[in-house]
Amino acid sequence: MKNTQSAWSREIPLREQLTTMKRIFSFAKPFLGQFAASIVFAGLLAVTNALLPRIVQTLIDGYFTQGTATVQVVLLFGSLYAGATLLKAVIWYFNLYHYNMASEKTVAVIRNAVYTKLHKLGMNYFDRTPAGSIVSKVTNDTETIKEFWTVFLTVIEGLLGLSISFIAMYTLNAEVTLWIMTFLPILIVVIWLYQKKSSFLYRSMREKLGILNAKLAESITGMSIIQQFRQEKRFQEDFEETNMSYFRSRYQMTKINTLLLSPIIDLLYTSALVFILSFFGFDALNGFVEVGVIYAFTSYVRNFFQPMTRMMDSLSIFQDGIVSSSRVLEVLDNEEYAPEQNEQSDAKITSAKIEFKDVSFSYDGKHKVLKNISFTAYPGQTVALVGHTGSGKSSIINLIMRFYEFYEGDILIDGVSIKDYPLSELRSNMGLVLQDSFLFYGTIKDNIRLKNKAITDAEIRKAAEFVQADKFIEALPHKYNAKVIERGASYSSGQKQLISFASTIVTDPKILILDEATANIDTETEVLIQEGLEKMRKGRTTLAIAHRLSTIRDADLILVLDHGEIVEQGTHDELLDQKGVYYGMYELQKSGLTE
Amino acid sequence: MGIFKKLGWFFKQEKKAYISGVIALFIVSIIALLPPRIIGIIVDQIASQTITMQSLIMWVSLLGATAVAQYLLRYIWRINIFGTASKLERIIRTQLYQHFTEMDKHFFQRYRTGDLMAHATNDLRAIRMVAAGGILTLADSVSTGSATIIAMFLVVDWRLALLALIPLPLLALCSRILGTKIHKSFREAQAAFSHLNDKTQESVSGMKVIKTFGQETEDIQEFKEKTAQVVKENKKVYIVDSLFDPVITIITGMSYVLTMILGGSFVINEVISIGEFVTFFTYISMLTWPMLAVGRLFNILERGSASYDRIRELLNNKSSIQENTSAVTTPISGNVDVTIQKFTYPSSDKAVLSDVHFHLVKGQTLGIVGKTGSGKTSLFELMLREYDHYEGTILYGGTDIRDYSLDALLKRIGYVPQDNFLFSDTIAGNIRFADPNLSMAEVERAAKLTAIHQDILEMPQQYETEVGERGVSLSGGQKQRISIARALITNPELLILDDALSAVDAKTEEKILSALKDERSDQTTIIAAHRISSVMHAQEILVLEDGRVIERGTHEQLLANNGWYKEMYEQQQLEQQIEGGAVK
Repeated sequence: MKNTQSAWSREIPLREQLTTMKRIFSFAKPFLGQFAASIVFAGLLAVTNALLPRIVQTLIDGYFTQGTATVQVVLLFGSLYAGATLLKAVIWYFNLYHYNMASEKTVAVIRNAVYTKLHKLGMNYFDRTPAGSIVSKVTNDTETIKEFWTVFLTVIEGLLGLSISFIAMYTLNAEVTLWIMTFLPILIVVIWLYQKKSSFLYRSMREKLGILNAKLAESITGMSIIQQFRQEKRFQEDFEETNMSYFRSRYQMTKINTLLLSPIIDLLYTSALVFILSFFGFDALNGFVEVGVIYAFTSYVRNFFQPMTRMMDSLSIFQDGIVSSSRVLEVLDNEEYAPEQNEQSDAKITSAKIEFKDVSFSYDGKHKVLKNISFTAYPGQTVALVGHTGSGKSSIINLIMRFYEFYEGDILIDGVSIKDYPLSELRSNMGLVLQDSFLFYGTIKDNIRLKNKAITDAEIRKAAEFVQADKFIEALPHKYNAKVIERGASYSSGQKQLISFASTIVTDPKILILDEATANIDTETEVLIQEGLEKMRKGRTTLAIAHRLSTIRDADLILVLDHGEIVEQGTHDELLDQKGVYYGMYELQKSGLTE
Repeated sequence: MGIFKKLGWFFKQEKKAYISGVIALFIVSIIALLPPRIIGIIVDQIASQTITMQSLIMWVSLLGATAVAQYLLRYIWRINIFGTASKLERIIRTQLYQHFTEMDKHFFQRYRTGDLMAHATNDLRAIRMVAAGGILTLADSVSTGSATIIAMFLVVDWRLALLALIPLPLLALCSRILGTKIHKSFREAQAAFSHLNDKTQESVSGMKVIKTFGQETEDIQEFKEKTAQVVKENKKVYIVDSLFDPVITIITGMSYVLTMILGGSFVINEVISIGEFVTFFTYISMLTWPMLAVGRLFNILERGSASYDRIRELLNNKSSIQENTSAVTTPISGNVDVTIQKFTYPSSDKAVLSDVHFHLVKGQTLGIVGKTGSGKTSLFELMLREYDHYEGTILYGGTDIRDYSLDALLKRIGYVPQDNFLFSDTIAGNIRFADPNLSMAEVERAAKLTAIHQDILEMPQQYETEVGERGVSLSGGQKQRISIARALITNPELLILDDALSAVDAKTEEKILSALKDERSDQTTIIAAHRISSVMHAQEILVLEDGRVIERGTHEQLLANNGWYKEMYEQQQLEQQIEGGAVK
């Protein structure tokens, strides 16, 4: 909703429209052949359209007026007309089919490009942009682009019809044709006027509809608040006002369409007829005129004016298309790339020693959330991060997972900078367990295996057993094939956590990053989770954000973070000896337990 | 056609617009018969060389007059029919909105926001189409169709007309058959698109997981399969859809050919003139659209009818909460007595509350603790009268909750829900949500009470800062404090905080609680929380589990009880020390 509004509230300058169009056109390159074929068919179609009246004209002028027509002649012309019509139908079919298919495939290419691009963007893009607006760009906006393509077919067909009618008329009677061309400036003025009036109105209509729907959606979401505060009346009145304003815009739009769209083109068409008849009529007063030509002219003039209505009608689709295209291009132009890796390197993670060297980091370039962080996690060790919200624990994970790029200091794994590993090497050796487990649509099995087809069912079962997720899974109606719908809505947060443990452990990572859940988890599962965490950590270098003391106590190194700095570090015992913050915490813990 | 009957109320209401629109449409179709005839007459006069200056001027001016008349009449019918159709959309949208504001919680659980939005956008559009395109096509095909056919019979030649008309019913038939076919493959294409949408939605939400497992390539591959599927399904649509125009061309072509042959022989035998032959040709082209339209009409009407039924179904929902006809209008005041034997949500059979009762003296504070799902929010839903069907009573000042008017009840209760939803409005607007006429001084007072005043002053436009979707993003704690200010500003008789302090830190929590204590010594407050520190000063604390009170008493009594409360308290003390310890 947000984007609809902002995009429609400004007028896009012509030059920007042109560059947008040009860039969207470039996606059609692979299908140029098909587009070209379709346009050739469009040309042929215009030619057959010009031929049909010519057949009738010849029949009239060549035979009827001469009085030489026989039944054979009529039959001949009839079958000629039938043949031409059949040909026209076939040409038209190929024209439409190829154009539709070419634009469909182009849109698929655009979709794939946008989606591929999305995966190149860093987490900061996803953390900042609402999911709904990203999805809408990938699907709805590209769908609008499909309609956008039909505008060009309409324009091409219109122009072809226009020029071929012109040629056909010209060969019949050059003088009348040139006179008819005086209608062209009038047409251009009408189109210009319509363009000017309607594009503004259409934009404001779209903007108002955006506001209207945003208000509706917000009211539905916040209805309980509206009701609890007894504000129904106020909201009804406010909504009615917006509804009314949208209606007025729409009504204006209908008015403009009525005054300047098809009725005026019809008016011009009939005026052209008046002109043709007067012209030929006056000629006839002075001499002989072929009447078949009059028939042909009336047909050609119709072919001349008819596409105008459709072309002008496409204007709103064109506007939709430009707006959607620019939204799609916005994604393609986005430069918030995911951190780059040295893909040429053949560095391998072996013992998994992690070293932070003087790392500083900021999300916005202004406020540092990590300041000179240095520590080492030796192979197989567990390093625990302790600190309140905003102390920088999550940022450390964002950096080591390469979700965000850092510029000060370095993070080394086995002595090699983390930036010097190919991404695949990092991903296959590091497992992250997130605070909120995310499950995908599919089955339990799918969610443990994720997209790695190399993982066997036996391995899945083993991983589930390892983290003790097997008990609840086995109790499900379809066990490992039990459905997971809408982000695992039917599973408890503890169960979801266990499944995500299994999906991590099945890849057997050398490094484990744990973001411990703070959510309330039922006690039985809580025990399983704690046991699972302990088992998973064995033999792996682990970085753990801890909310519970039990995970901290046996850690090899505990870092106490505050405002992006390590204020204390050491093992549990060392920290106690320091008699600092951690000691205080521990003392409080003891007194807490014995109170 | 049933849909016209269903919308009868609207057509009746707007009969002036529709009658004048339809009349204009009829006149247009009759006038439209003139130009082909005029052309025919002039052609004949030229061919027979009987043309004179007077007759030429007369016929040509008549042609010009028809052009102007058509333009004016078209304006009349378009404004009347299309404009009025927009009105229908507006009226139903208002009805829907009003209806939504009257619906109970159960309704909003049954229909999700997305569904309701779809009804309010797609279904409304389909209904508008009936009132605009539907009426237009119906009236136009009937008037243009019959006028043209009559003219063919009367003006030209009845035998020719009969023959030329033979293929035309095929048009309506073919457009109906193709329409149904397209509709079917279109639905499948829609389904493929919808899968693509779901896939994108899921991957974008789960981006972190995909990145963690390094499965970008696999995910892109899956997406490409989905787009390929969309192309494949749409191909089926295009194969049929591209047939539409060509088939029409062939059918009308048949009419033309028959006309050429029979009409041609008539011309030879001088049964009809050349001009009549030309006129007839044009008439056939005028029949194409009405025939086509009939086929399309069915689709428009069917869709509109289904949409209208869906909207009616929504509008037929009745709220279970109805004001008593002789409701008490004096605002609630005094002690609160809650005695609930059993409460079950309408769509389930598991009791969410059993034997919950308490007596809360005016001016006292009640604390409620318990795990998620223990029934805290359900209890508040009953106290706010969101559900009426439960065994037991809730009394405010000795009167049953169901005997109060909703204004008397709700206006005196300040409720702060868990999910602290703020509206797209300024901060000030959100705080004085209950009454936009409240002064800035009162807004600031409420903001100070909830320790959010300083935060607001640091924002770009201070109290005028926009929040919500288009405004600044606030932290959970800030949102919670603004929601509390929103509930507090009217100085309610009863204030309910439903886990509304979970996102603020301990120090701020303490500040807010003590401000509440000073400010609300005469009024009643209920605080539900995970954090025991939020409720420990309450006069009575209930511990809920699975909808039952498992412990109750003061903080000291509960600690002495050595139960769940004590365990929770100690665990949280510990956690707080860890969190707070690092701050120094």
